[in-house]
Amino acid sequence: MSTTATVQPERILRDLQELWAKMASDQADSGGVLRACAMTLAVAAENAADAERVRQTVGILMHSHPSRAVILHPDDAGGELEARVFAECWKPFGKTQQICSEGIEITAGRNGFSEVAKFLVPLRVPDLPVVLWCRGVSALEPGPLEPLFPLASKIIFDSSQVSDADSALQFLRRLRGRGSRVADLHWTRLTGWREILAHLFDDQALQPSEVTGARVTFGGPSVTTCARYFAAWIRTALPGTRVIVSSDNGPRGLHSVVLSTASESLTIALGSDRCVEISGRGRHYRSMLPSASEEALMQEELGILGPDPVYDRALSA
Amino acid sequence: MTEGRNPFADPLRFERRVPECAIVIFGAAGDLAKRKLLPALYRLAYDRRLPASFAIVGNSRTPMIDDDYRARMREAVKQFSEDGDFDEELWKRFAANLHYVAGDVKDPQLYQALREKVNATGQANILFYLSTQPSYYEVIVDGIGHSHLAAAPEGAWRRLIVEKPFGHDLQSAKELNSRIHAVFREEDTYRIDHYLGKETVQNILALRFGNGIFEPLWNRRYINHVQITAAESIGVEGRGSYYQEAGALRDMIQNHLLQVMATVAMEPSAVFEPDAVRDERAKLLRSIKIMRPEEVDLYAVAGQYKGFRQEPGVNPDAQTDTYAAGTFFVDNWRWAGVPFFIRSGKKLPKRVTDIAIQFNQAPLALFSAGGGDQKARPNLLILRIQPEEGISLLFLSKEPGSGMRLRPVSMDFNYGTSFGERSPSAYETLLVDAMVGDPTLYTRQDMVEASWAVIEPILENWSSRRFDFPNYDAGTWGPAEADAMIAKLGRQWRNS
Repeated sequence: MSTTATVQPERILRDLQELWAKMASDQADSGGVLRACAMTLAVAAENAADAERVRQTVGILMHSHPSRAVILHPDDAGGELEARVFAECWKPFGKTQQICSEGIEITAGRNGFSEVAKFLVPLRVPDLPVVLWCRGVSALEPGPLEPLFPLASKIIFDSSQVSDADSALQFLRRLRGRGSRVADLHWTRLTGWREILAHLFDDQALQPSEVTGARVTFGGPSVTTCARYFAAWIRTALPGTRVIVSSDNGPRGLHSVVLSTASESLTIALGSDRCVEISGRGRHYRSMLPSASEEALMQEELGILGPDPVYDRALSA
Repeated sequence: MTEGRNPFADPLRFERRVPECAIVIFGAAGDLAKRKLLPALYRLAYDRRLPASFAIVGNSRTPMIDDDYRARMREAVKQFSEDGDFDEELWKRFAANLHYVAGDVKDPQLYQALREKVNATGQANILFYLSTQPSYYEVIVDGIGHSHLAAAPEGAWRRLIVEKPFGHDLQSAKELNSRIHAVFREEDTYRIDHYLGKETVQNILALRFGNGIFEPLWNRRYINHVQITAAESIGVEGRGSYYQEAGALRDMIQNHLLQVMATVAMEPSAVFEPDAVRDERAKLLRSIKIMRPEEVDLYAVAGQYKGFRQEPGVNPDAQTDTYAAGTFFVDNWRWAGVPFFIRSGKKLPKRVTDIAIQFNQAPLALFSAGGGDQKARPNLLILRIQPEEGISLLFLSKEPGSGMRLRPVSMDFNYGTSFGERSPSAYETLLVDAMVGDPTLYTRQDMVEASWAVIEPILENWSSRRFDFPNYDAGTWGPAEADAMIAKLGRQWRNS
């Protein structure tokens, strides 16, 4: 369900109200609609095609993180600012009442994001957090999205495709240094790996003091941010431990982590079908990595709206 | 996993890790195992919460081999999994860890067979789960003790989960505690009250102690009374022979609802740690005023629905309370004089469990001249435990139009819509807690004994008299005496 409007915040908000009134009236005989909203989720898409993908992803995210979605994307033809409102509705299993979250899609000319920042202020849901999801590689460098950053409680990037890991990390550090809370989906992709490694230290199966060195191996032509993150995470957890980052052939991403002790090595290595093989201390077993879909990664990040000290330490290291 | 112990801990993102262990379930072919325990364990596996290596060893008298038991449990999990997720591949991996030992719990050889089975799984830690008839609890604990199954090797642990009812009165609860403590330490004894594992019951603590606006009002000065209702629309559903010995007072109020009351009324603990929280719950339970014998008729009501005595397995002359209601007072500074009305019954109009906190009226009826509902509706905070889990606040609002007519409106928080995510079942939560050694949501010996002490005078009164049962129709809100009980104190039940 959608309607269009020229970009005037008051007009957009009025359109939203009318949309809700119409949906309530349409659904009056089948239990009505329930408006759910826990945050403003602003998404800066790369282009119109990307905005379409974002709408699908946001539709899924709404189920667990109901929000007012504000999807911003540049108009490749360089046209006027335009906006339309829409609702994402779903019916929980066995229930008659529809649950709906609302959305606003704003199209701006290539240089129009600075204008959009002005509109975003009145379009935020009052008193609730604002999460800004900046898509694409270009978001990780100074550019037209900068005016939006101060409005967000948290800014989410994805450095998986950057060619220069160091400059992407520098950009994130600078942003955090200015007081923004930042996240990187390429760090989020490491959660499964990190959890498996952390479990090795539970129940005193492996003592931190036993570890003398670590090797993090990744695939791809250049060092990725995920390899940098993983190495930094080990260094901050085990200060003084020598951590070597190396690459091998194969797809981008983490391939293996080897922890060395005085007498043996423990290896976590990528297997097939999103499984990792863990071996060492006389044992060998497999564990599934969690889904790395964009929806799953965003779900995880949207669940953390406060400080994320472990990520911050890895980013700083 | 705490950050202090493990330098790689990330509590914001990692689930608590369940240590490798064997779960030995006594009564493994019974209803609870089929409906709750195995579906919960399967769901934990589905959510990747179980460790790579674990074992479940079931026991009952029914002769079966491992594969028979696996086939039975496969059907049970398919039938009773709450959200219907069933993954055949996952089940195969899960079932490979499922084992069975047939035998009578009174037979010492059973425990030897269990030991061999557990040893064969290679697990050092053992969680015993008593899911049998309560009359077997003592003999099982003795059997575990005599066979030295409870003796853990260095660095390993043994824990015991005991299902309710924990005793049938104060004396029997004390005796059972004493028998258990001969084998298990109190810190290794997990008395399960699945109500405490419900997300919505845990959320009571979050609401009260995580927010600044409620706690200042949470006392005798602002709260008029509290109603706790646990209503079921169904009858005994084939559990007639068990239920006629238990009754609503023992089955619901002594354990679940008094624990809920304690959660609503307890003082904040200094820290959110297992014993600190349980100390406060226990303190509250000990503060509940014990009825004097002559007060029981005034403050407690028993009921039985028409048709109960015709249920299969029920004595045609049964004196069982299928409905029980009580008025309880808490003797402390916060709650002195505030009645807590608790009721539970079967064959009531609908299935609902909720807590209604009724606030005092506004001191001045400023808008009474405008008409409307203002005098009839005090503010209500309703904590809905099930179904439609959530919280509602009822307050008065001006009706649109001229004049000042007020109308009650509801501000609703719905658990499902605000979080969207699936809530773990109470058994999933509690099983994980027991495996990781977190007893916060389990009841302690002193809590159990305090709650039995609260209902002991009612039990004594009711067991020494003959009721004129049945006294309420199915589909009604219970006997008229319950309405009279609350009306004597100038209140009425929320029957909505």
